[in-house]
Amino acid sequence: MNEEKIKNLLIVLTACFMVLFSLFPFVYMVLTSINVAPDFLAKGWNLTLENYKNVLGVESLHFLDYLKNSIIISFISSVVTVFIASLAAYAITRLEMKGKIFVLLFVLGISMFPQVSMIGYLFKIMVYFGFINAYPALIFPYIAWILPLSLWILVSYFSQIPRELDKAATIDGCSKFQILFKVLFPVALPGIFSTALLSFIFAFNEFIFALILTTDYHSRTIPVGIALFEGLHGQVPWGQIMAASTVTMLPILALTLIFQRHIVGGLTKGAVKG
Amino acid sequence: MKSIFKFSLILLFAFTACAKKTPELVFSVGGAPNELDFWEEIISDFEKEKGIKVRILRQPTDSDQRRQGILIPMKAKIENPDIFLMDIAWIPQFAASNWLLPLDEYVQRDKYSLKPFWKNILDLSDTYKNNIVALPVYIDAGVLYYRKDLLKKYGFQNPPSTWSEFLKISKKIQKAEREKNSSFFAFVWQGAQYEGLICNFLEFASLDGGGFSFTGKLKINTPANIKAADFMKDLINKWKLSPPNTYTDMKEEQVRMFFQSGNALFERNWPYAWGLHQSDNSEIKGKVAIAALPYFKGGKSVSTLGGWHIGISRFSDSKDEAWAFMKYVVSKKVQKSFCLKLGWNPARKDVYSDAEILKKYPHFKDLKNVFGNASPRPAIPYYTQVSDVLQRHINSIVAGKTDSKEAFNQAEFEIKNIIERYE
Amino acid sequence: MKNFIKKFESYAFVSPLLVFVALFVLIPIIGSIWTSMFRDVTFLKMKFIFLDNYGDLLRDEGFWKSLRFTLLFIAVTVPLELIIGTAFAVVLDLKIPFRGLLRACVLVPWAIPSAISAKIWELVYNYSYGLANYILLSTGLSEAPVNWIGTDIGAFTTVVVADVWKTAPFVALLVLAGLQSVPSDLRLQAKIDRANFVQTFFLITLPLLKPVLLVSLLFRTIDSLRVFDVIYVLTHGGPGGATTSVSLYAYKYFLGGDFGYGSAISVLLFLVAFVMSVFYIKVSKFQDNL
Repeated sequence: MNEEKIKNLLIVLTACFMVLFSLFPFVYMVLTSINVAPDFLAKGWNLTLENYKNVLGVESLHFLDYLKNSIIISFISSVVTVFIASLAAYAITRLEMKGKIFVLLFVLGISMFPQVSMIGYLFKIMVYFGFINAYPALIFPYIAWILPLSLWILVSYFSQIPRELDKAATIDGCSKFQILFKVLFPVALPGIFSTALLSFIFAFNEFIFALILTTDYHSRTIPVGIALFEGLHGQVPWGQIMAASTVTMLPILALTLIFQRHIVGGLTKGAVKG
Repeated sequence: MKSIFKFSLILLFAFTACAKKTPELVFSVGGAPNELDFWEEIISDFEKEKGIKVRILRQPTDSDQRRQGILIPMKAKIENPDIFLMDIAWIPQFAASNWLLPLDEYVQRDKYSLKPFWKNILDLSDTYKNNIVALPVYIDAGVLYYRKDLLKKYGFQNPPSTWSEFLKISKKIQKAEREKNSSFFAFVWQGAQYEGLICNFLEFASLDGGGFSFTGKLKINTPANIKAADFMKDLINKWKLSPPNTYTDMKEEQVRMFFQSGNALFERNWPYAWGLHQSDNSEIKGKVAIAALPYFKGGKSVSTLGGWHIGISRFSDSKDEAWAFMKYVVSKKVQKSFCLKLGWNPARKDVYSDAEILKKYPHFKDLKNVFGNASPRPAIPYYTQVSDVLQRHINSIVAGKTDSKEAFNQAEFEIKNIIERYE
Repeated sequence: MKNFIKKFESYAFVSPLLVFVALFVLIPIIGSIWTSMFRDVTFLKMKFIFLDNYGDLLRDEGFWKSLRFTLLFIAVTVPLELIIGTAFAVVLDLKIPFRGLLRACVLVPWAIPSAISAKIWELVYNYSYGLANYILLSTGLSEAPVNWIGTDIGAFTTVVVADVWKTAPFVALLVLAGLQSVPSDLRLQAKIDRANFVQTFFLITLPLLKPVLLVSLLFRTIDSLRVFDVIYVLTHGGPGGATTSVSLYAYKYFLGGDFGYGSAISVLLFLVAFVMSVFYIKVSKFQDNL
């Protein structure tokens, strides 16, 4: 066997391992969700759709409420974040400004703070504003928490756009806002889209803020909902939990598969090049 | 672009506005699934009878998570939930934190009689600064469930009264049953790292000097406690009479399901399990009986006082409705149905002399005494912190990770610090 | 004057960002430091006690235990993530069929809320009917089911596996970006020089990847320092507190109603993270890239 063959074999094996490594828990999840009991491995299959029916149909489980809350909160957070971050990224890449580096580093440093260090006082702030168990209790901190990442990604996208473009626009008499939204935005659209997507995923996955700042299905998000999930029958309702997880995963899975290029682009921009 | 900005602002405010709720009575309760189903029934009866709408907030079964479900809204001073069920061990903290509505005013206004309740329980648990702040809904005390069919099959007349008898019976029956059923264990109990472990521990610590005391002279590191913890460890490790996942997975419901599937001889649980064991889909229907928990020679049987009490939030926006619901929950009619449907021990004494109840549960006559002797856990507002330390160390002993003497020593040291902080 | 407006303008563009970050990150942090100097317990009168909480903390074995766990957790997960991540990146970098699909597959664990993946892992490790024990028993690797979450080592392993599984793909993507910026003529040259695959990797690619790996290392370290959700769902910090991270330990005190002490724990964690991020920014030389 020559070296090339060994190499190819090695690559194929690693690739298979990667797929298996990444996906087997999900296969297990789906299988559990369509079986009556979680002991189907040893005791044999007993297929059912009951779990999905319960999760989607029984109101007092509030699964759909959690999902709705998650989607709305993440969506608003991501839109507002991208808007604010693009304003700042525009200023940093295009305008004269002292302390640009300071802003970037400050924001970067902030993104490393542990959430648990904020949660105690954040809780008090939200109590003060009467936001506990309401969407703003999560939306505001999420925006602040995701902004650093968005800023870094957008700065990197914006700085790749040739400056001649906005110079031309300035000559045409466009204001700064117009330049940002009419000239830069369309060109940077893929970048803005990846940023929004990443922001959405980050907000969607957040756990500890949601655990402490919400108390019930009015605003509880899906990660906390699933972590504290109480089923209808039996102790740990594995089938229902896995059905709920499967349903939750579908939109994320779809986003990831369709837009993987954008996500990868955004992530690597934000974290490596800066 | 401006419109997008405006749009998101409007959205934000719209949701803030949505979050402002109109007053409604919200009842926060957790528990086994059948319990929650039953609460739904009670609520719908109440709604029909009094015309007050109640919304139920389902909480997890796990006790810590249930506590969190009350603590966060109370700390945030928000209006929901209005009324909630509390574990007896939480009341000192909740009361001292000023979260519970004092009820004397309501009691006097309605000339509501507190006579049907056990006076010692009201005094010990439900009174704060001479004011009633909660009422008991049901009383719990640990009991031993056993398979009377198996005992009989192997020639034992009575359930064991001491632990040495218990071991003898358990070893024999487990060995024989294992031949047909490889997943059979003699004894299941609550050993996971949570409050239930402390309740179980106190029952094993039945010898003189067992148990805990944090006010006055500290009582933690005693020979009786060490013996109890070692015994718990040996049940799993040495004699292998309890499943190896006892100290990780076993909470009330896991224990109940294990026993109910017919895979165990003895079970330590609260009285709620009785109704479920006797239900139609139970594998052990008609094969179960209840006894007092065994004790070490020279001691006496101990049963930890548990139970759930109902209280009204000081921040409630529907206090009168909440009081009406509270009275309904502790009324004789509802208490009786708790007992008949769920096998709970009602908090009202008059239910225990009810003819219909006695016919169904002849053992209720004696339960009165069990409650009289049941030992409460220390009523201190920082009980959670202390219990956390104890859970950690006792669980570590039971898991066979630390030497019991050393663990209790360390626990005592840590608890001293806690007491210093909070006294 | 014109200059002044110009200056002012650029700050106006940045200000919404700064306001948000100040209000919902900085103030909470400062507030936590402030709270940590009080006896802020739901059932006691609020009292200024300056550094007493920290004094108690230093004597608190539970805290040290959680810190030891967290550091050990970092020491085990981060290298594993880097190794697996780099291996994945090398494969993803090759021109093989279905590359896009492969990349998407790897992304999925990262994109799923860790609360959900931790639930799946909890089931995988379930004592009675989990996949892990099923495999062990049916392949004969073990005669009796393993109590995964029950022993220190077992619980530690489950948490590490769940975390590595989730974050190795993230590292893979970072390294992939680094790989793609390694000039391919360098590697081509190596090929002409008849260096084999492995040699090329260790002699040429790896040294060039050093900056990326360093950044990933620090980034993952800081992120692991605050680990919470995986543990909260998977082990609750058990058995016997063996897998309680510092974040979880602080959370438990918040839950017990002691906000002062909880804040003190979280402030210490913050300080560690702060020092690390300063280090991170220094090492990664972000300024040079601007």
